[in-house]
Amino acid sequence: MNADEWLRVFAAELHQRRVAADAARHVVAEAATHLREGGGDPWLVFGPPQAYAATIVESIGTVPGPRPGPVRLDARGITKRYGRRTVLRDAALTVRAGQIAAVVGANGCGKSTFLRICAGLVSPDAGEVTVSGRLGFCPQQGGTADFLLPDEHFVLVGAGQGVAREPARRAGRAAARQLGWDAQGDVLARHLSGGTRQKLNLTMSTLAEPDVLLLDEPYQGFDQGSYVNLWDQLIRLRDAGRAIVVVTHLLNQLDRVDVVLDLTPAHQGGHS
Amino acid sequence: MDADRRGQWLRGVLDLCVLALLRDGESYGYELAQALDVAGVGPIQGGTLYPVLLRLQRTGLVTAQWREGGSGPARKYYQLTDDGRAALHHGGTAWLAFVAPVTDIVTKGVDG
Repeated sequence: MNADEWLRVFAAELHQRRVAADAARHVVAEAATHLREGGGDPWLVFGPPQAYAATIVESIGTVPGPRPGPVRLDARGITKRYGRRTVLRDAALTVRAGQIAAVVGANGCGKSTFLRICAGLVSPDAGEVTVSGRLGFCPQQGGTADFLLPDEHFVLVGAGQGVAREPARRAGRAAARQLGWDAQGDVLARHLSGGTRQKLNLTMSTLAEPDVLLLDEPYQGFDQGSYVNLWDQLIRLRDAGRAIVVVTHLLNQLDRVDVVLDLTPAHQGGHS
Repeated sequence: MDADRRGQWLRGVLDLCVLALLRDGESYGYELAQALDVAGVGPIQGGTLYPVLLRLQRTGLVTAQWREGGSGPARKYYQLTDDGRAALHHGGTAWLAFVAPVTDIVTKGVDG
């Protein structure tokens, strides 16, 4: 593990322990500065990232998790069949304002179908979804328009909300920066890399300030840094009171979420 | 010297050392570590130093701000506050009152 990796793991550990985002950023930056000036192996200078994160928590404390608010998404008894195949059987998920829910499970277990049912894009054969508030949906792919610039996407989203061109563009660029992406530029969406196009997708889904944000494996094509930015952003949105549902097959983020729905057959049913 | 023992001593007094080093002007983590080493306290690892600095900052004994160095990288500079100055005075006096008799006793033991 080199210094950069150590710092990354350390940063993730701080977030996981709910150290305030600003404080965590400062502590990580200071450790990085120290390593740059003094050199040395971070494992010797600071110790294991987990242990050092625990020490930092002792020194500066953590922010109490915001109390979960009212129920924003309530899916009950969701069953879906395609022909003879039952992809979802009596799946249930309740997400409150200020919570992140992860939908996990093996490939083909119906994660995306479940999310699309929550989004109202697919009808279930049985069950009911209740959404309270505005809904945002970020599909796994698609969702961007090939022949438009990122800016033009922002303007379109803005138009849907009655926001003028210039403020919409500014808001879009600001939201993109939260993901570590500089959206200023004259590159058509179809010429963006897969990861960047996904950032555009994500940016758009957060622009409308939805109360419920549904994300289907939103990190396709992301490098490690973008992935960290994404989770920082999700935590920020969560702490701002949004209800977030993420479909993921990556289990290493699960301890940062509040609710897990495992759709692997025989594991169905949400639990905290 | 027994590293464990030295570590225990340091835990009790490192905050005072840091406050004392900041008495005549601001400094940043790496520079403080070097100053302690040069003074003969021995190498202080970042994992020991920064939690102390954070605690001092949280309790208002020091303030901190990020600034670009002249040509170097941005660094977090720590400054002593009035409360820090008072804590240094009280804590330092108490420390001196403590080590004087300890030194006395140990000196007799070692010399005898």
